[in-house]
Amino acid sequence: MDFLPDPFPLLSAFLQWLAVIVVIFSSVLLITFTSNLVSNGARGAALYGQSLGQSLVEIFSTSVSRCYALAKLTFTEAIRRKALFVFVVFAVLFMFAGWFLSDPDQSAKYAKDAVKIHVTFILNVLTWLTMIVMLLLACIGIPEDIRLRSIHTVVTKPARRFEIVLSRILGYVGVGTVLLGIMSATSLVWIYRQVPVSARSELTARQPIWGQLSFLDRMGNETTAGINVGDIWDYRSYIEGATKSRAIWRFENVTPAMLTTMTDEDGKTYEALRLESRIEAFRSHKGNMDRTTRFQYIILNPERNLEVTAATLEIGDEFSGRTDGIRRTLIAETKDNESKTVDLINDLVAKDGSLTIAVACTDPGQYLGMARSDLFIRLPDAPFAVTFFKAILGIWLFMVLTVTLGVTASTFVKGPFAIMTIFTFLTVSITGREFIRKLLSDEWKGGGAFESAYRIPTYMNDTTDLPSNPGTQLIKWVDWIMNGFLWLIQQILPNVSYFNMTGYVANGFDVDNWNTLLPAVLVTIGYFIPCVLIGYYCLRSRELEAK
Amino acid sequence: MSTDVASPTAAKDSSSLSSGNEPVISIRNLSKDYRDFWGRPKVKALKSLTMEVRKGEVFGLLGPNGSGKTTTMKLLLGLLFPTEGEISILGKPATDVSKNERIGYLPEESYLYRFLNAEETLDFYGRLFRLPADVRKQRTNELLELVKVSHARKRQLKEYSKGMTRRIGLAQALINDPELILLDEPTSGLDPLGNRDMKDLILKLKEQGKTIVMCSHLLADVQDVCDRIAILYGGELKVMGRVDELVKEQDATQIRSSKLSEAAASEVLDVLKKHGVTDVQIDQPTSSLEDLFLRTVQESRERPGRRISV
Repeated sequence: MDFLPDPFPLLSAFLQWLAVIVVIFSSVLLITFTSNLVSNGARGAALYGQSLGQSLVEIFSTSVSRCYALAKLTFTEAIRRKALFVFVVFAVLFMFAGWFLSDPDQSAKYAKDAVKIHVTFILNVLTWLTMIVMLLLACIGIPEDIRLRSIHTVVTKPARRFEIVLSRILGYVGVGTVLLGIMSATSLVWIYRQVPVSARSELTARQPIWGQLSFLDRMGNETTAGINVGDIWDYRSYIEGATKSRAIWRFENVTPAMLTTMTDEDGKTYEALRLESRIEAFRSHKGNMDRTTRFQYIILNPERNLEVTAATLEIGDEFSGRTDGIRRTLIAETKDNESKTVDLINDLVAKDGSLTIAVACTDPGQYLGMARSDLFIRLPDAPFAVTFFKAILGIWLFMVLTVTLGVTASTFVKGPFAIMTIFTFLTVSITGREFIRKLLSDEWKGGGAFESAYRIPTYMNDTTDLPSNPGTQLIKWVDWIMNGFLWLIQQILPNVSYFNMTGYVANGFDVDNWNTLLPAVLVTIGYFIPCVLIGYYCLRSRELEAK
Repeated sequence: MSTDVASPTAAKDSSSLSSGNEPVISIRNLSKDYRDFWGRPKVKALKSLTMEVRKGEVFGLLGPNGSGKTTTMKLLLGLLFPTEGEISILGKPATDVSKNERIGYLPEESYLYRFLNAEETLDFYGRLFRLPADVRKQRTNELLELVKVSHARKRQLKEYSKGMTRRIGLAQALINDPELILLDEPTSGLDPLGNRDMKDLILKLKEQGKTIVMCSHLLADVQDVCDRIAILYGGELKVMGRVDELVKEQDATQIRSSKLSEAAASEVLDVLKKHGVTDVQIDQPTSSLEDLFLRTVQESRERPGRRISV
């Protein structure tokens, strides 16, 4: 599951952001100061200081009332310029989507994937519709205002240009919010209606508690990874059946609040820790083909020498997994082979609040493959609408970022150029970020663009060193400069993957607040602040009469 | 009092009207070059303009197309940046936005938001001055009455005629009850009635102590309302002074009376000839076409259906 979030490095991310901002703004100040000195001589320094002072005054005298007026104007303008036409496209898509997404036979396989299909479709449609409309609106607003000169009647009032940039962004965000709000509410109803009744239980928001995974080898020694069976190289590690090999999860801060009331086969309720697993089997021989591979949960408390082995279970379907309840009251075996009743929370949770659960494969000669996200504690589920609207919040934040970038670009280039600029910027952010990272990290052999251009026609493979001569030295320098430029690009490209929360919703998980939603919010704020300032600077330093 | 046809850098102000009054606008050696993509000067729109506008006067900027009138206006408002020179407007630099609190500006074309209606337009501009809601409402009603478009207050501006848009343009320029009003071609697009209303309004604003700067190439309009004018040509200041002084023919005399009989006219001619006056013309004065038009409309309103006898 690729939606398992990595911990967000808040401090280092903030420091990197600060460094980039300081470098960009220092460079801008230095360049403008120098150009002022060159064009105005000694008087340039005074003029520069006066201008800088005026800018600061303008920024700090921003009026809420004026911003409201300008934002409302932007909102009205967008609505009266038929921005709501997007609803027609939306309605058409929805009217006919059912033809392509639903299965008239209502097969079991379809029912299993119905939630994923519908949720993915909806979230993609909402993302693209909103982004296209908002990008167009945001990029043409100010250039049109300048072209029609209606901005003349605004800037000759006490409206600060900072307020104009800020309010344009706020106004378009308002439009986008209305569009997205109406479309997402409609979508939620549509999903509930379209998904087959048999699959509606999948419309949920699992709230997982993820653990840290480690392994024991077949001799019971600690190891960094399991066995590589040659099936999946990076993602899953495998443990061998009927040996001391284990996959061990350690869950932090386990409390009684994590227990869920479950029902057994007889209809009796009991308190249990609900675990959900998606374990993959790798058979080295056919074995028993009437059933799947078997495994056991073993709950350990090394501090008290307690070990509880749950009943032997069969792994579930690779994609839907299985859910099991570890009862609160268990029978434990001590090292002395004595049995005693233990409480899951009071006896098996360590003093530091951690709970250790090992998975063992019980079929000899068979292997079970596991990754960190293949086992988690499943807290009581939240309503599907909660995770759905968190994903909508992700789209909304992406929309805010798009609008911010669009309005900023439109302060220094005309509408069509602004659209192309931001479209390219976002496309590179979505598709090129990883590419640039690999290029810069030497993960890919063969050097930079020029070195590759040399190697390809000379049939030189990427492990052979380049011949040492002035020509190849020049190629390396040019590549070094280009890589430096790529590094700069990498620093300013947003990590837009934070905004895409479709994986969570489509797979029935609650969107992670701290490691996905918070980074998305911070990325948006991180771009919003400098973009508004850059937009203000550009609008302030340009003659609005200029064609 | 003399009138100077000035050199570009040394136009003299022949006005005594406002001498002693504080300058509301002060321009020193103002130049503006329009540049090409590479930053090379393409057109010199304004060359070393120096002038002052004083409190309470109606000042006209005249000149043919491309003479630099609108450029001057836009430099005053900070829409353009000067290549050289200094501007002080209400005691502040042109780039200081806070000066706009006391300024009203009517652009050459009424560059308004055509998707708003008249009421929304004035409310929007009122908000930019942070006027309280009740004041905005009151000013909106007053101004719509003043510019005579209150009957169309709910219609979007894109449905307005040019003249009506112009009127709303004027209303937005007055929303903050400004001290200084800059009017770029204020009568452009107005019918004769609107033209007269505009001129009456300018005079009324002057009576209220407002300072007005207008640029126009409709000379009759300027003559009707302006105290002082400056004539620009090719970006240079050519003439500046009081209108009545500038247009006065120094070597001619005009005597005006009620209609003379032929005998009386002949006697007057004889007297003038006796004093050596040779170039004498006695005929009946004509009113302006504008006056005739306004009188006709007025009578048509008062007595509808009747043909007007002139």
